[in-house]
Order: sequence, then structure tokens, then C-alpha cells
Amino acid sequence: MTDILTLVFRTFTSQTAGSEDLTVPPTSPATCSALLVGDAGLSRSVLLLAAVTAASEMGVRVVFFTHTRIQSLPPCLQKRVPGLSPESLKKITFSYPRTMEELLQQVASLHEPTNTSPAPPSLVVVDGLEGYLCGPGECGSGLGGFHLGERSVQAAHLSALLCDSAAFLTQVLRSRSSSSDLCRVVASFGSPGDGGEASAADASLDVLDRYFRVRCTLDRAGSYEAAAAGLHEVWNIYLSGTGMAEASCAKDCEDRPAVAQEWKLFIPPDGLMEFKLV
Amino acid sequence: MPSFLPAVAEQLFRDIHKTHQETSQIPDDLLIALKFVFGLCALPALDLVDLHSVTCLSSPSGRKAFQVIGGSGRLYTCFASCHYCPCPAFAYTVLRRNEGLLCKHILAVYLSQAMGGTRQESVSDQQMSVLLSGTAAA
Repeated sequence: MTDILTLVFRTFTSQTAGSEDLTVPPTSPATCSALLVGDAGLSRSVLLLAAVTAASEMGVRVVFFTHTRIQSLPPCLQKRVPGLSPESLKKITFSYPRTMEELLQQVASLHEPTNTSPAPPSLVVVDGLEGYLCGPGECGSGLGGFHLGERSVQAAHLSALLCDSAAFLTQVLRSRSSSSDLCRVVASFGSPGDGGEASAADASLDVLDRYFRVRCTLDRAGSYEAAAAGLHEVWNIYLSGTGMAEASCAKDCEDRPAVAQEWKLFIPPDGLMEFKLV
Repeated sequence: MPSFLPAVAEQLFRDIHKTHQETSQIPDDLLIALKFVFGLCALPALDLVDLHSVTCLSSPSGRKAFQVIGGSGRLYTCFASCHYCPCPAFAYTVLRRNEGLLCKHILAVYLSQAMGGTRQESVSDQQMSVLLSGTAAA
């Protein structure tokens, strides 16, 4: 998954940022599942960028699960994606499950022939995981401990199902072509509020980290930095997790390009996102 | 996909597979190693294997999953490539307390594959989807 994220960041790098030495890391099993953690709105935009980039630049099928219907694409997509066309957008299947049960059913059915023909998806996206996990009043017992336990089990079930589905779809992709292509999974988990919500989110993130090998943290920079640059927003993007450590080890053993671990995202008033390698 | 098992556990299962192929038994040193690596769930998992409690489900699409009959007679559906079990022990000991690598049901799946004791069963693609989603009635 870091190959697609890096491709997104490279595609939307400022022309003046000197990106000639940027390389997209090869697809690696260690980095094929990623979790975006941070602002829900920004995560959604990054996920859309990833989906459209995968469909248009890599020409692969994408399945995009989200709770909220997508009314329009982010401004930077409308104006700047090099290969964006109606044909490439058709490679993305948007699905709007309303509940955790519906989401589980739809992910579980990805193996069925209707979803793998003519080609299986190479990227599965789930936007807003936290919106599907049960809330304080929804997990049966009102006791806080049981609520946290139920959320953790839901998070584990969905994450494991996503990873197992991606493993199966990888087998299908490889059986149908001689390439070593992988099916990647990326999901987003929005930042929690304070108090009880933060505690529940921490427990859920601990569980999610078991299954998602890479974490992509979106952290808003201080307002002075944005003001000084004349921008609307500036964000720090950090890539971490066991998948990044394994990818770094692989790089040491083989002659592969390193996976960049820190980026900055600049958002001017017109909404055209630009990334910069730190 | 990357393995969810530590290297020592993977090696242990390879050793059990090789030895069981040759002798149809698991020697004491490997049993001791199993107990050391997996703790309290090792013996209950071996009991489940002895009772032929593990079934590999396959559907026409090629998708696979494992179903384990627990001690209470309840059926637990586990995944082929990563660790998840709907049992209370997995939720509490593994997820909540982080005190175990896996539950006895997932360990039984690994052991029955190493020892060749897995039953095989075919289901339809739709039945497989229902089982994987966990939305079937118990």
C-alpha cells in the first residue's frame, strides 16, 4: 500500500519541489495494508486520491467502501490527475454499507465471481472505520468494559476479514497473470474526541495495528506555519509500523529504494493539495 | 502475505509436520516446545485435533476458511491467512489482555494442518460469504 501512497504523494508534488529523485517503492507484502489515522475529512480526500491514482495511473480495479455518499471529487483531482478519464473512473466501484453488518457482508463477498470478473480488485478501501464500530449505547451491556471489548472484537473481525480477503484476491491476481501483483488494503480511522471516546479509540487502534502493517498518521501543523506560507492548511504525514520496519530491512538486504517516511501536505485556499518529501 | 506467527512458532509447526509424517507421533521435546510457546491453550488445542474438530471449508471461487468445533459444541469460523476467532478467549486473552498469541481454536487449525488431520468440506460461494461475515445464526 505504501507504493500507492507514495505514488499519490509523488503525483501531487509541487513542480518546484525537486522530485526528480523520488522513486515509488516496489510492491511488498510487508507494506500492502495501511491505516490512515487523523482528521476524517482529510483522510477521506487522501483515500479518494489513492483510489483514483490506482485506477488511472496503475490501471487497476478498486473497491471503495464508505458510509457517506461521495457527491464530488476533491478539487485537486478535478484539475490535476494526469490520467483521469471516465474510463479510469469506471474501474472504481463505490459501495455505501450503512452498518458494520452490511460492511462485513460486502467485504466477505469480494471472493464471489461477480466481484472478481472481469478482474479482481487490486485495492480495497474502507473510509471511516470508526463510524462502523459500535458506540457506547450500542454494544449490549452499558458497562464500559464490555463496550470496549465489543468494539475490539468488531475491529479485529473486520480487519482480519479485509486482510484475508486481500490475501485471497492476491492469489487470484497472480493465477490470472504472470505478474507478482498484490491486492492492497487501506482504511481510515478518524481522530477521536476527548475522554471516553479517546479511550475507546486507543483500544480499537491497538487492535487495528495487529492487522494493518503500516500506519499513515495525518497531523495538522501549527497555524503559524500555514499563515507564514500563505496557505490554508499544512499537515505532517508520517509513515510507521511493522511493515515499514520490514521494508527497511529488505532494503538493506537488497538493492531497493527506501520507502520515504515523512511528508508534508500543503493545502492552499483553492484546495489543490501538494505534497513534499521531508 | 506476511506471516502473523513469530519465526519460532513457524519452525515448530514445520518440525511437527516433518516428524508426524515420519512417525505419526509428536515426540516429547516438540510437545514441550509447543507448551512453552503457546502456554495454556496447547493441550486443549491438541485435544481438539484428536477429536477431528477442524474442518477446511472450500467454495467454488477457491476461497477457504476453517471451522472448529469448540469444547461446548459451538462452531467457530477462523480465517486461512490471519488470526481471528469469534471465541471469548480470543477476545479477552489475545485482544484485550495481549497475554496469548492465539486461542486453542486457531492453534488447533495450525496443528491439524501440520498433522494432516483436517476434514474437508465444500460449501457454495454464498454460504462461504455468510460464514466469513459472521452473520449466520450460531
